[in-house]
Amino acid sequence: MESSRDDFVIALRSAFLKKGTQQRFSLLSLIFFSIIFLILGSFNFKAINYVEKTIKEIVYRSSFIVSAPENFLENSYLIVNSHLKLYEENKKNLAELNSLRGKDLSQKISILENIKYKKLIDDYFIGDNETVAKVLIDKQSPFLRSIIINKGSKNNIELGMVVLDEGYLVGKIVEVNFFTSRVLLISDINSKIPVSLQPGDIQGIMSGKDKREGVLQYVRDKNLSEINEEMQVLTSGAGGMFKSGIPIGVIEIDEILEINKDKIVNFHKDFSQLKYVKVVSYMREQKILDLSSKNESETLKNEIEDTNQQQETLRILIEQKKIADEIRVKIQKENDFLRNERIRLKKESDFLKNKVLTEKKINQKNKIQDEEMKFLKMNLYYGHKCRKNFINDGYKVGTAEYKKCVLNKGLKVNG
Amino acid sequence: MDKIEKNSIIRYIQKYIPIILLFISVLNEFDFNNLGLIYFSFNFSYILIFYYGLKKSESLGYIYIFIAGLFNDVVGGTPIGISSLMYLILCGAAAYLRNITLRPSLIKDSIFFLITILIINSLLFMYLNFTFNYELKYFDQIINIAYTYLLYFLFANLFNFFEKNILGNRHAG
Repeated sequence: MESSRDDFVIALRSAFLKKGTQQRFSLLSLIFFSIIFLILGSFNFKAINYVEKTIKEIVYRSSFIVSAPENFLENSYLIVNSHLKLYEENKKNLAELNSLRGKDLSQKISILENIKYKKLIDDYFIGDNETVAKVLIDKQSPFLRSIIINKGSKNNIELGMVVLDEGYLVGKIVEVNFFTSRVLLISDINSKIPVSLQPGDIQGIMSGKDKREGVLQYVRDKNLSEINEEMQVLTSGAGGMFKSGIPIGVIEIDEILEINKDKIVNFHKDFSQLKYVKVVSYMREQKILDLSSKNESETLKNEIEDTNQQQETLRILIEQKKIADEIRVKIQKENDFLRNERIRLKKESDFLKNKVLTEKKINQKNKIQDEEMKFLKMNLYYGHKCRKNFINDGYKVGTAEYKKCVLNKGLKVNG
Repeated sequence: MDKIEKNSIIRYIQKYIPIILLFISVLNEFDFNNLGLIYFSFNFSYILIFYYGLKKSESLGYIYIFIAGLFNDVVGGTPIGISSLMYLILCGAAAYLRNITLRPSLIKDSIFFLITILIINSLLFMYLNFTFNYELKYFDQIINIAYTYLLYFLFANLFNFFEKNILGNRHAG
């Protein structure tokens, strides 16, 4: 048991650590090197990025050269094949040309109408930057369906630019080097494109499936089953990734009718036969102004200025109103305070008035009492002079005349 | 003198034929890994590396294999370094088998090869799927592994024949 474990360790050590006769690095060191490459590459380490870009430039060119004999053979086969089929193809093309000529005029009208309506909704894009590129490498790995083209950042190629072949969508730029770029084909499983199905204007997302096929995802089968004709698949322009209306492929009638089955999109183009592609970026069209439009724009400009002025006045008025409101609130507060003060003072004054009245009453009472006292006092002295008896012809006690008499110190009041 | 020089050039080319084959298979647009057929694909590079790593390790320098892996990643668009790692693990497995084998047998070699490619493809699948969110088809991977294993017998015999009859290596196989 012990010796077998030793054998295993020795064999493993020999395999991974021992350098061969012409080996400069052991296997383990190279494995570590690969892992470091992977880890640093996943963190976008600058040095690794530079190494990667250099390798890419070398490898793309080398791959093009290495593939040259095979491409030559393939091209030769295609040329011979097309020569052999020339007569039949010519007949077919003539028939097709006649039928297409008829359709051409109505199509032109449709295009013009389409442009007009798109301009109305501000969705009309024109080609901003167009570059024709040659396909350098068309190696389809099992993990990524992509092609390498011979134009890079030197030719103003940017990430996300649309790649077309004869007007049909091919893919988009996902990697830009100085001289080369990588195009992710729409047939790649990782490419998700917002599409629109016509007729019916049904929206969906298309993913790549096979060399010449894509599969519709996130589309409502319910709507599809109502349409009994071949459907065109176009870019919808949703998400702003692609311009709307770029043709991609068709869905056959059989596919549409079958519910709960993946809807397969047959691409218009065979991506394995790409030689030259067009890399395009789009921008919204800027209107070219004629004289009448200029006048119109002048009027519009004036109107805008007026509106701006009015807006400014309005802004000032709003500011003034705000200040006035603030003042009003302040005054109201003061007013409330004064009102409360007034009420408080009124209460106080009422209280004082009552007090004065009470005092007055007391004073009056005291005065009456004083008068009474004076009368009583004088009554003692002069009462006998005023009282009516047998001797004196005076007044009856308790009458007003009697009182007057007493107060007049016994002098009788006449009349 | 001329003849000797010519012979030495031919011998040099013959010696490095496996490495040239590896680089061509990596750089060429034509790839057995993706022939466009639904039920047929195999990894020629794995067969080549395993066979020569096992039988004639001096033909394939590890550093060349490492570079070939980098090239494969660049051409295939996979994260750089992943193919190198897989190729080197395959080399390690082949070197281990070579060390423990006393009597070579094609069947035993192929079984070991199958186990190795199952492991490295699983690693590759996990790494690409979980780390880089690549959407991979599991079924295609299985098909690829199965055909790579089956075609190992054919290519091993072809390489044996090439080594014995064209290069005149009597110890091959």
